[in-house]
Amino acid sequence: MTHRTIGATAMAVALAAGAGQAMAQYEGETLSLFNWSQYMDPAIIEGFEDEYGVEVVENYFNSNGEMFAKLQAGGVSQYDIVVPSNYYVPRLVESGLVQPLDHERLPNLDNLMETFIDPVFDPGNEYSAAYQWGTTGLVYDREVLGDVPASWSVLFDPAVNPDAPFALPEDAQVTLGAACAWLGHGYDCTGRNALEEAARLVLETKQRDNFAGFIQGTPVLQQLVRGSVAAGMTFNGDYLFFKSEDPEGFANIEYVIPEEGAEVWVDNMMIPAEAPNPGLAHAFIDYILRAEVGAQLSNWNYYSSPNAAALPMLDEVLQQPPITPTDAEMETLTFIPSLKGDDLQFLQQVWREVESR
Amino acid sequence: MSVLRRETRHMLFTVAPGALFILVFLVLPSVYLVGMAFLSSGPYGLPTLPLSLQSFRELAGFGFLGWSPGNLYTLIRSVWQTLLATALVILLAYPAAYYISTRPARWRPLMLLAIVVPSWTNQVIRSVGWMNIFAPGTPVSDLAALLGLTAPQMGLFPSQFAVIVGLVYNFLPFMVLPLYAAFERLDTEQVEAARDLFASPVAVFRHAVFPQTLPGLMAGIVLVAIPAFGMYVVTELLGGGKATMIGNLVARQFAQASNWPLGAAGAMIMIAVTLIGLKVLRDLGRRLSGDREVVL
Amino acid sequence: MSAGRLENGLRAFWIVLLVFLYAPLAVVVFFSFNSINSSARFAGFSLQWYEQLFRNEAIVAALTNTVVLAMVSTIIAVIIGGLLGYGFYRYRLGRLSWLVWLIYLPVIMPDIVFGIAEMTFFVAINERLGILSPGLGTMVIAHVTFQVPFVALLVNARLLSLDPQLFEACHDLYAGPWQRARFFLLPVLRPAILSSFLLALTLSIDDFVISFFTAGPQSTTLPIYIWSAIKKGVTPEVNAIATLMIGSVFLVAFFSLLVQHGPSGGRPSKGGRRA
Repeated sequence: MTHRTIGATAMAVALAAGAGQAMAQYEGETLSLFNWSQYMDPAIIEGFEDEYGVEVVENYFNSNGEMFAKLQAGGVSQYDIVVPSNYYVPRLVESGLVQPLDHERLPNLDNLMETFIDPVFDPGNEYSAAYQWGTTGLVYDREVLGDVPASWSVLFDPAVNPDAPFALPEDAQVTLGAACAWLGHGYDCTGRNALEEAARLVLETKQRDNFAGFIQGTPVLQQLVRGSVAAGMTFNGDYLFFKSEDPEGFANIEYVIPEEGAEVWVDNMMIPAEAPNPGLAHAFIDYILRAEVGAQLSNWNYYSSPNAAALPMLDEVLQQPPITPTDAEMETLTFIPSLKGDDLQFLQQVWREVESR
Repeated sequence: MSVLRRETRHMLFTVAPGALFILVFLVLPSVYLVGMAFLSSGPYGLPTLPLSLQSFRELAGFGFLGWSPGNLYTLIRSVWQTLLATALVILLAYPAAYYISTRPARWRPLMLLAIVVPSWTNQVIRSVGWMNIFAPGTPVSDLAALLGLTAPQMGLFPSQFAVIVGLVYNFLPFMVLPLYAAFERLDTEQVEAARDLFASPVAVFRHAVFPQTLPGLMAGIVLVAIPAFGMYVVTELLGGGKATMIGNLVARQFAQASNWPLGAAGAMIMIAVTLIGLKVLRDLGRRLSGDREVVL
Repeated sequence: MSAGRLENGLRAFWIVLLVFLYAPLAVVVFFSFNSINSSARFAGFSLQWYEQLFRNEAIVAALTNTVVLAMVSTIIAVIIGGLLGYGFYRYRLGRLSWLVWLIYLPVIMPDIVFGIAEMTFFVAINERLGILSPGLGTMVIAHVTFQVPFVALLVNARLLSLDPQLFEACHDLYAGPWQRARFFLLPVLRPAILSSFLLALTLSIDDFVISFFTAGPQSTTLPIYIWSAIKKGVTPEVNAIATLMIGSVFLVAFFSLLVQHGPSGGRPSKGGRRA
């Protein structure tokens, strides 16, 4: 059975479950969802729309920075749901861009795994509920690069990749994290000396003739298939998602967790402070937290589910690497630290240096 | 009703809507933006009190690591890329404008339209066109690789080269049009006299054609260089982070990195450089034309 | 150098220049009909990307937004700008001579600064008063603001080119201001109004930066849609959308030929403020 038929089955289950409840409360209203691209099963949206008699308008972002900037530039009163990564959660909370969740309206919050209840970045799930989790690793074209080590050296060491075009994401913490890991300071480095050294490395890397430019994690996959880059950084789920859509194109494209360590992240649903429709937003979050919907979501987008109740319904492919990292890999994976104040300013300054040359 | 009052009413009716529009939706926002440059950046980049010159210090390159020339490079690169693109545009526009002006009158409007129409398409779409042409594996990229200009698998974009091509492409029409207008008014007798006097076409151009087309050239430079200096789209799409200009630096403070006061300070610098550039051009125009007033 | 050789050289140059100007557009149109997802190799003719395009709700909405934005802002700008151009002409030597600065300001302002200034301003107003939240409304306002000066300048230029005695004759002929407007000004200004309409329309179609910074979640236009789509590489779908925009521009160009038997963009002021 393909993951799509499973999705349809789960859909039917979800519909049956919802049929008895009175959903007319939001009839005719609109929910504005601001999400990463390629992250939401259209069937889930349709299911929610049908069940509640509402319309969902989706908008997409490609980086946390972009999402944060949009919220600041008026988006705070225009979106009902945003889906930031863990290290942006405190940033959104402290800058007053999001509102607390009403747990009374989220009975399905209990479905979350223990790890995601009361996470370090949001004690008590006061503002956020986990959406999906995954890893950010190295992606490369084996046909072009040959057998290379599972290491960030593919990006940062000219000896490993002397001439094939490669890209880096334009996300300060992600790119500097990888550089930090390669330099031996760990992916979650925060020390100023380490960050400065990492920035210098990225600068040197940027000057290399075969640096193809800054390309974010999801778009870089298309560029790999088209052959315009041979290596970059991406997310495990997106990799598998596109691979399943185009097995031929991805035949030689590999995703690995570099041995120096990489990022594990969790994206979270949050409600902007002045969301036009917070009631419906709560209903949507609770809908996503349903076991069947959670499973359907993961089976569609190939990311790991934070939903304990959904685990039994997940496709087999999700139970193995690269979606479920091995224990050894788990050891090397870290969260990106959440920065603020001077530390954040420092990071942005060194990153501006990288961008300016 | 007195005459004066009627005139005032008439004046209000005609001028007020437009003037108010520009005042409220351009002057006021600009003043607000300039003011923002003198605020501090909050913990997450939004402007906040107290007043501070921090953004200007940061823009000048003073940061946690001491002084660094990164932003200065960006500014210099912006000026350099603007000058290079403008020079190339002039080189292409002179023969084009001259050629059009020598065609039969009924052809000229059509030829001018042919020059202008591509600039009416959206600038994002024009860049998409060049991305198609410069991508790895296209005939043009293959040719460049064959000539040893690029590595075989790299393609011509993203690169500084692609940015310069994009700039020239975007602004060529704005040089051709005023130059054409100048050629149309050209006093041919002067040119003939110069031909009799000087043997070389270069000398003819220098002494007869150039002075007469100078006003058109100056107008063209203003129309090309000002928007080229403020370029955002072409550098972002065709540069891939390799040919960053000050417009990108400013935009990023609002669209990615989030430091509004710093971005506002950068915007102020952009306006200042633009005004200085206008002044320099005006003085240059005056000197070249022997103190004859050049309308800009 | 003989005149003939110069002539031949110039003709060759002109042809090369036309290729340079139209090759990027031609390539976009060409690959939009590609049967495979590539802009390097053409495998065969196909309309599949256009079919996909019109099935995609987001793209259809972006198309609608683009058309609404261009038409609404242009109509408003022609009315306001036309009045301003006339008022500026009438009072240019008197109390309103300072207007020239106001009119030229949007022309010389880099559009990235323009867009950001408007965005921060709208955000500030929205926070305090709850109005002007980003969307088509704010985009229309921004577009009108940069269109108005160009319309005013064109109308003003037309009035300046007229014999001042005409105005006196008109004053003798018609009693009221409405009659004067109806029977004298409007007919006289017709060509200028038409060409400023087309100019304002092309300014709006060409703009990306200002739209980008003043847009809201529900007011994506085609260029904004393309902007986020091309991060994944130029696809035939992107080329197909771009072809629609190119086609509409050629339509405008055709009309401008009909209207004036000449280029409406023939004035150097055209596009002065675009970056």
